Amino acid sequence: MRLRKILLLLGAFILSAVVFFINAATKSVDLESSFLQQVRTVCILLSYLAIYLFIIIIKKEKQRGIVQSIGAVALFTGIFLASYLIISLLPLNGFKTRDLTLFPQDYQTIFFSSIISLISGVFAIVVLLFIKDLILYKRKKTTLRNFLILVGSLLAASLSQLMNKPLEETVISKIFTVIAILMIIVNSFRLAWIAYLPRREKIYSLLYSLLAFFGFLVILIIISSEEGGWTEKGIHYYSSALFTFLQLTSTLGAVYFGMSFSSTLFHLPTAEAFDRKQTEISSLHNLSRLINQVFDLKDLAETATKMTTEVIQAASVWLEIIPTEGSFHKSGLMSYRNISVEEIETILSGDEKSIRKIICQTKKVLMIDDVGADKRTKHLPKMKKVGSMLVVPLLSHQNVIGILYATKEIEYGFDQDDVDILSGFADQVAIAIENARLIEKSFEKERLQRELMLAQEMQKRLLPQQLPQFPTADLKAVSSPALEVGGDYYDYVQISDDLVGIVIGDVSGKGVGAAFYMAEVKGIFQSLAKIFRSPREFMIKANESLVTSIDKGSFISLIYSTLNVQTGELIIARAGHCPILYISDSKQEYLKPDGLGLGLKTGKIFEENIQEKKIMMKSGDVCVFYTDGVTESRSPSGEEFGYERLMDVVSTNKKKTSEEIKEAIIQTVWNYTDAKGYHDDLTIFVVKWL
Amino acid sequence: MSDFKVHIRERANNIYVLELKGYLDAHTTPTLEEAFQKMLNEKKFRIIVNCKEMSYISSAGLGVFMAFIEDVRAGNGDIKLSDMSPKVFNIFDLLGFPMLYDIVKLEEEAAKKFDAQ
Repeated sequence: MRLRKILLLLGAFILSAVVFFINAATKSVDLESSFLQQVRTVCILLSYLAIYLFIIIIKKEKQRGIVQSIGAVALFTGIFLASYLIISLLPLNGFKTRDLTLFPQDYQTIFFSSIISLISGVFAIVVLLFIKDLILYKRKKTTLRNFLILVGSLLAASLSQLMNKPLEETVISKIFTVIAILMIIVNSFRLAWIAYLPRREKIYSLLYSLLAFFGFLVILIIISSEEGGWTEKGIHYYSSALFTFLQLTSTLGAVYFGMSFSSTLFHLPTAEAFDRKQTEISSLHNLSRLINQVFDLKDLAETATKMTTEVIQAASVWLEIIPTEGSFHKSGLMSYRNISVEEIETILSGDEKSIRKIICQTKKVLMIDDVGADKRTKHLPKMKKVGSMLVVPLLSHQNVIGILYATKEIEYGFDQDDVDILSGFADQVAIAIENARLIEKSFEKERLQRELMLAQEMQKRLLPQQLPQFPTADLKAVSSPALEVGGDYYDYVQISDDLVGIVIGDVSGKGVGAAFYMAEVKGIFQSLAKIFRSPREFMIKANESLVTSIDKGSFISLIYSTLNVQTGELIIARAGHCPILYISDSKQEYLKPDGLGLGLKTGKIFEENIQEKKIMMKSGDVCVFYTDGVTESRSPSGEEFGYERLMDVVSTNKKKTSEEIKEAIIQTVWNYTDAKGYHDDLTIFVVKWL
Repeated sequence: MSDFKVHIRERANNIYVLELKGYLDAHTTPTLEEAFQKMLNEKKFRIIVNCKEMSYISSAGLGVFMAFIEDVRAGNGDIKLSDMSPKVFNIFDLLGFPMLYDIVKLEEEAAKKFDAQ
């Protein structure tokens, strides 16, 4: 690019130099249509072509806005005029006119003719290119065509001068000039850019247009005057075509910027409204874009009130969120501008007849033109900021989830446009609130789910992975929680080679809290069982530990028993838990030694009421520990499974292994409840003496 | 969903009867809690809980009684239970409630016990 620019500039310079030397060499000769004249013409054309290409490259390097372009044209016009006048004032001998041909009197005249011609050419090309941008702004189908016809006629009018004598005017060139002027007028109506300018820029464009208009007018007057100085003759001498080109381009400039000036002037009154629409559209756009990015409601409310303040120029703005049922979201005043909380409270006071209530009931936009006179607000104390009010509900599924308030100092401060804008904002914010709520809900749900999973995991680990196997006793257990996390617990501990401690329990309540108590019970069980070999003593100590740490109203029912795997001696203590089912060859019964639930009562009462029961297991005897989930399971008709059925199923299956007995109980309960009625945790621990 | 209701009835001598009806479990305990809390707030400490129409009570339901008994007794009153079906009594009994609460056959008996105090 750089090289090309240098080459173009160099080319233009060399060609201009050639023209200069030809001019100098033929100072007092009329070249007519000689070969040298044709060489000169070609050189001139090529030099301007080079300049044109050079300018195009330069212009592309810097993109200008509309107003900047007009400013640039005005500036160039000024520079051109200044340099033109300075060169005009040079003390030169000028030209002698003979037979429509010009003869320079000295070499300086030739030199400065070249200079002013080059400047004129550059100026005309630059102006044409800038005006081209303006005319083609938001072009339509015909725009480019019209402009090309303009340029074509302009060039035709100019080029048709090429073969003439400097001061000669031909019919052809006159015809093209007329066409060019017509096209100038046609193209000067292309002012599409004006409407899109913001008000501020319109004022600048007005100023620049005026400057440019006068600039071109002056240029036209100077170069077209009959008794002009030597400078016009200098351009004529250099090239008549260039003179025509400059003249027509200046005409275009004057007409176009004259038009642009007056048109901008007419657009000024509506500029504000146009600006407002623009801001409105862009702020709505911004807001809706924000909604997809910002999940923090506070941020969003801030943005909404800020935009409201800016766009409708409200004296004060605030946004509140109405608490709705089943939402986790914070409610209340989310954002306020140019107003204090106390002032807001004053405005919204009056419970039943407050503005808030009115909006919640009507769910419609409320515009109060004169706060002091309106019957809904005249009871309020006078406030300078609050002359008129505009209140818009934020609606979601026909529910008012929030309200956007705006006030102006003057009465009748709001119009229909404000209502439209504010309603637009309200819609966007309502969507955002809805989004934020949904996200919060899903977060909450996810959090709970994670918590439950954690508790479930914890609970699984609290239960023994495997029960010990003895040659004399067959131990099998199962536990299935009703919810994700249940309150049932069973465990064993190997107290000595002969003695194994077995525990089964039920924590009142369910879910995560129950799981934590269970963990506590496990800790107590694992540590106390080895210290206190008597189940009764164990229970007393366990109660002491639990009663201080457990919630009032919570308790744990537990059975603790020790089984001597050598002798078959089973010692049981029951703390409020379901009785143990004991089935031997001779009899089947529920064992129910006395005992309060753990955590209900402190020390003495508990101690006084807990008993121990001792049995000797014999070959074929079966002991079933279970939780109330078994006996309290319900059939589809609502009847409980009960103790009888449990006894029956164990009795029927007593010859089988512990595993099979356990499975039989589950199957029977399952069939009984129709597999749907597992409304409680269910745990079974079977001990069979082999 | 299982149904549970509490009806509060006043007897002579500042005795209040809570008539429980239905299925008292983890879902329905708040109803009973509210009723007890109301009694405490109003300093009504002589309470008889009539369980005649109560069909079931879960461990969570039992917990409600435990949660309020201390405050009631601290106020020189008591919670006495009456008219339990055998099934409901069995649940109370398993946990050892008869050792902690005055559980009587009929509401009248409970009222007489209050009167005797």
